[in-house]
Amino acid sequence: MNEVNPTRREVMQLGVALGVSAVVPDVSGAELQETPFFLQDVADGKLPKVDDRIPQEPAVAVLASVGTHGGSLRMLMAGPKDTRMIVVYGYARLVGYTPSLDLVPDILRAFEVEDNRVFTLYLRKGHKWSDGHPFTTEDFRYWFEDVAQNPHLSLSGLPISMLPQGEGPRFEVLDETTVRYSWKKPNPLFLPDLAGPSPLYIYRPSHYLRQFHQKFAEKAALDILVKQANQRNWAALHNKMDTMYRDDNPDLPSLEPWILKTRPPSDRFVFEKNPYYYRIDTAGKQLPYIDRVILLIADNKIIPAKTGAGESDLQARYLRFDNYTFLKAGEGRNGYRVRLWRTGPGSQLALYPNLNVSDETWRGLMRDLRFRRALSLAVDRHEINQVIYFGLAIEGQNTLLPQSPLYIQKYRTDWAGFDLREANRLLDLIGLKKGSDRMRQLPDGRPLEIIVENSGESTEQSDVLELIRDSWRRIGIKLFAKPSQLTLFRRRVFSGETLMSIDKGIENGLATAGMSPWEFAPTTQQQLEWPKWGQYYETKGEAGEAPNLPSAIRLKELYAEWLAATSHDEHAQIWHEMLRIWADEVFSIGTVAGVLQPVVVSARLRNVPEEGIYNWDPGAYFGIYKPDGFWFDLSEEPSKSASVAKTPETPR
Amino acid sequence: MLRYLVHRILIMIPTLIAISIVIFTIINLPPGDYFSTYIAELQSSGEAADLAKIAALKMQYGFDRPLWQQYLFWVGGLVQGDMGYSFAYNLPVNKVVGDRLLMTFIVSFSTILFTYVVAFPIGVYSATHQYSWSDHILTLLGFLGLAIPSFLLALVLLYFANVYFGISIGGLMDPRYLNRPWSFDKAVSVAAHLWIPVIVIGTAGTASMIRRLRANLLDELQKQYVVTARAKGLHPLKLLFKYPLRVALNPFISDIGSLLPHVISGAAIVSVVMSLPTTGPMLLDALRSQDMYLAGSFLMFMASLTVIGVFISDLALAVLDPRIRLQAGRRQ
Repeated sequence: MNEVNPTRREVMQLGVALGVSAVVPDVSGAELQETPFFLQDVADGKLPKVDDRIPQEPAVAVLASVGTHGGSLRMLMAGPKDTRMIVVYGYARLVGYTPSLDLVPDILRAFEVEDNRVFTLYLRKGHKWSDGHPFTTEDFRYWFEDVAQNPHLSLSGLPISMLPQGEGPRFEVLDETTVRYSWKKPNPLFLPDLAGPSPLYIYRPSHYLRQFHQKFAEKAALDILVKQANQRNWAALHNKMDTMYRDDNPDLPSLEPWILKTRPPSDRFVFEKNPYYYRIDTAGKQLPYIDRVILLIADNKIIPAKTGAGESDLQARYLRFDNYTFLKAGEGRNGYRVRLWRTGPGSQLALYPNLNVSDETWRGLMRDLRFRRALSLAVDRHEINQVIYFGLAIEGQNTLLPQSPLYIQKYRTDWAGFDLREANRLLDLIGLKKGSDRMRQLPDGRPLEIIVENSGESTEQSDVLELIRDSWRRIGIKLFAKPSQLTLFRRRVFSGETLMSIDKGIENGLATAGMSPWEFAPTTQQQLEWPKWGQYYETKGEAGEAPNLPSAIRLKELYAEWLAATSHDEHAQIWHEMLRIWADEVFSIGTVAGVLQPVVVSARLRNVPEEGIYNWDPGAYFGIYKPDGFWFDLSEEPSKSASVAKTPETPR
Repeated sequence: MLRYLVHRILIMIPTLIAISIVIFTIINLPPGDYFSTYIAELQSSGEAADLAKIAALKMQYGFDRPLWQQYLFWVGGLVQGDMGYSFAYNLPVNKVVGDRLLMTFIVSFSTILFTYVVAFPIGVYSATHQYSWSDHILTLLGFLGLAIPSFLLALVLLYFANVYFGISIGGLMDPRYLNRPWSFDKAVSVAAHLWIPVIVIGTAGTASMIRRLRANLLDELQKQYVVTARAKGLHPLKLLFKYPLRVALNPFISDIGSLLPHVISGAAIVSVVMSLPTTGPMLLDALRSQDMYLAGSFLMFMASLTVIGVFISDLALAVLDPRIRLQAGRRQ
């Protein structure tokens, strides 16, 4: 599915200036073919011919199978905000990850990196927005100068990932298709952020947005627009229209494979294929194959039932592992197949001892390495795996997954065996004495009772806690589960009221050396194990507390080193050091990872991989598998809920 | 009577003001606001929120100002017909609510009709045939209807309707008719989907209505005037409809007050379960995500309808029941 490219990792290892560009497979034998969906419009002269619509150097997708055009892809979503998922799945990015997690040019024809400081981006000649207007470096300039640095539109200026150590880049437009960003310090966050599922957009459809910009629009005309849209000022209007990620403005030109056609509010959103899309297949057909994507909004609790009734052609969002048997039962009847993909978090659920808890006695204990190790050793992960996940998950610490190139088994297995004797020995060493009820007590005589709070969103958390409670009792520790509500839960953790919390493990279990290791160092308040230290970093010392645990300080230093490093080797080395500390210190207590995600795929939908990774970043869920190459095999007998069978035409 | 009318209308104003204060306070009671809930949600699902953009939005909507100012701002808008702005939908509240009101009205109206059509004959029948075996069976059915949680009934019906009739799960029409102008096919599709929510929402209401009608009617049937009429040889049916039934209807008239807001809000829980495009799920969502103008303005709208509904039912009662009119006269 992916384009043929040299891997960036190899390139970076050389440590010198080197370009990466998409090698265009030979398609000279294949004539460009007009897309049936646009035949009428081309004949009527409403659209130019396909040769004039695609860039002069289109991206050529090497797909598992060359498909045919047509069909509508139906998906279920839980709310109008979910229109953004089409931008996530569509995954048209300046640079993007391949399924093997290499970073390659995508919208860009090529890019060059010098020392992780100077980035030169080459656009495709003749690339056009979905309304046919040329996509040029002017769109980059507009964002950099007139949006990101306009105090009305962007209160805090450039985004963090463009400010390594607080300094912005020098921006140059070299010609119509070349831009260069040069920083004084290395900026390893730049490219991964461009490739994110919710990417850093460093360009805007300037020809469209100008009409809402004070600098370009005529004042009288703009005032009328502001008034019509019921906005307070032009900046609010500009922000409302400029929703490239949220994707709720059907007028906003786009580069994505499918373009929104429905004006909100609605319970059914129709996206149609982008006539100016930049990718073609090896047979000379313009992608995407699928004509329309239709999002139906339904309550998230009913989505598994609707999916089981065959009302979705491609669904993973809002399906959970415990829906698997139900979905499987409907397979034959409703013409779909259920696949199981791995998920990306480092642990499905992990316990986070709060190192910033307000109570002093508890804080001392939580910061005691032996205590955290003892708690981890007393978790029977095998039992959790067997009882709740049918033994299909991977047991161990909350760290990277085996699919990551940085994975070493010891990171996952250290202090993650089930060893009650050793756990008891460690607790005895700390001096936590057992009382008359054979339960341990704190040094000040209070009973050692740990209240584990959670956001109360799923019963899964309570089930896991129930199992841990039994094994912890055997080392003399009482566990109580306290479900709460998401906002309240986070607030209590942040303020240090919560002793311990249970939540998802680290997000990116698939990290490569080039991806930021921020999750392993105190960098944000969102980290439940050290919210105050994270806040300190996030606010540059204005709020929170400075870390005072040597290992945490070391992690923070290593993170800073990673940001300043320029070569792949340095990055990998720092990663390993951080992972080793993380595994050794047991800052969070992992349970099991790689829990399977049911993915329901219509039996007629082709090119969806049998096995995949369902992950947010890197991954963009279906994004790295490039859904523009998915196609419907219409020759097969349509099922009863045929998606392609005569859907009434959408007014265009 | 006129003075009473004016008095009643005037008293509605302080009532509504009091309600608006209560609504605004309660919505603002939970810690945080829409944006903090939104950020928490995004971050818990691993997505990064654009904090700078959110800070700009907060300022734009005056979240940094004191609460009383925000309240006045909101109420000021309401008086001028501006219901505020929904953050979740990124649209003015009027637009968000507009589409759903019609569907809610269709569902609720059909439900009320269903309730009356089913409950009335059964109620009358089981009152006049008290303690017969048929009364017992109908009573049993009625209690079952009351006792079964409606969301459970909804799930079961949805499943079987899908398996045996091929009706798409949830929603009020086949997905392909959404966003399309009304046509005959669309109306048919709505009708095919409508019966499940109507039965589910209606069942509980039907059961309680049967019980109330039966009890009221039984009270009346024992009374002297019925015995007299019967002794005079009036036809039993004519007797029933002309006297005791009319008296037994009083509670239903006073129900109108609560009926009006019900028609607009729909049955929230069932609607959520069946993912009906009505206002109930929207309100629930707005409250959960603290989308304060959407929730507040909509609650205010419902409160106004309740106040008006109570007013109408009071008037209707006074017109229909001579005993009540006497009392009102005495007060004047």
